[in-house]
Amino acid sequence: MDKLSSDDAFELGNQFRDAAIALGDWRIQHRASLSKAEWDELDSQEILLLNTASSLYTSAIGLVLADSQLAFERLQSSVKEAKAAVKHITTLKQALDLASALVLLAGAVYSGNAASLPSAIVALEDAAEAIVDGTDSRTG
Amino acid sequence: MNRSLDVNVIGIRGSFWKAFGIFLLVSFVSGCVSFREVKVFAALSSDAASYDALTRDYVAALDRRKQYQPEKFHGELEAQKIRREAQRASLDLLQQTVTDYMQGLGNLAAGNTHAYDKSLKELSTNLSRATLLTSEEKEAVGALSTLLARAVTAGYRLHELRKLVRDANQPLQHVIQATRKIVEKGMIADLQVETALLGRYYDNFMYMPGNPMEPVAMALAREAKAESLGRVNTRIRSAQGYIAVLDKIANAHQYLYEHHKKIGSNELDKQFKPYVADLRMAYRGLLDVSH
Repeated sequence: MDKLSSDDAFELGNQFRDAAIALGDWRIQHRASLSKAEWDELDSQEILLLNTASSLYTSAIGLVLADSQLAFERLQSSVKEAKAAVKHITTLKQALDLASALVLLAGAVYSGNAASLPSAIVALEDAAEAIVDGTDSRTG
Repeated sequence: MNRSLDVNVIGIRGSFWKAFGIFLLVSFVSGCVSFREVKVFAALSSDAASYDALTRDYVAALDRRKQYQPEKFHGELEAQKIRREAQRASLDLLQQTVTDYMQGLGNLAAGNTHAYDKSLKELSTNLSRATLLTSEEKEAVGALSTLLARAVTAGYRLHELRKLVRDANQPLQHVIQATRKIVEKGMIADLQVETALLGRYYDNFMYMPGNPMEPVAMALAREAKAESLGRVNTRIRSAQGYIAVLDKIANAHQYLYEHHKKIGSNELDKQFKPYVADLRMAYRGLLDVSH
């Protein structure tokens, strides 16, 4: 016999619940012809059916939780990625390297010191490329 | 000597324009990117998904039901309560993961530039020490640097947001569907059981063979029955409200996923707005029922 699926368990729970409700309706309709003992016996059966339905729902919920474990773990992994990305932004010093390189370049340009210009430009290029490459490498 | 300097200058100019081009490109990205609706969606979803009253009630229901059943059933109710308590951590985690994801999405959309702010202040200090620049020039370079830092951050955020939405959609949809199933087929169905249990409890007062049909007692029992059933009905409507919220979150995220390449554009912001409005309305509906 196949293992009970969560849908099967939910449906079975519904059947028990509906049977209990039908039994209760019958009990009320026929109350005039029932003795106190018969009434109590039916009442106990109804409670038993309703508690069984509840228990089946609890089991079915456990099955859904087990079935969704994989998706749940994958989503948790995405959450970690999102957190890492945010963290990466806060520690991304490349942008500041770039800004600092700009300052260096500006200083060299305004100083009129031609000898320091190439190194300032190389620093600017390196900083810019590090950021672009860093982003691209994450794409793949 | 002069010839060599000319070559250098041409080289320098070429490199400068390349760097300047990159600068303009990242500045352009910074100027165009719009995460407004994604931010609002993430914040709303994070609040709405964390609605934990259902799980608390799912466990507490068993104690509540003891008063409506003879003592011989209490052991069974207690055993079931233990099973539900064991599920509680998983149920909470299921909701918490959606909340965490939405917070991650929101943080990414909002950006977190505290580290930059601090470092940019240091940059300003360094700039003030650059004695060869005039104060206006220092100001201009400082402003450009700030803009550049923000532009790079925006470009990075855009890339990460698109990637996150693309990768997370499938598991998110699955987790939301699982939660929806638990609430609809499990918790609501279980509350319907409670409705039946309560109904029979008060019916016993009113219709049990041998009970005197005393009008005042009957009226009080009917009133108490209506009040008790009303409370369960409110719980059912809260659960239905939560399902509506989950559906709106799932729909909105599916839309983001299908258009993830447009994230950051004003066009997507505009088209996504109705999805966010639907979610807001569903969340208000849930809060209205719950309070």
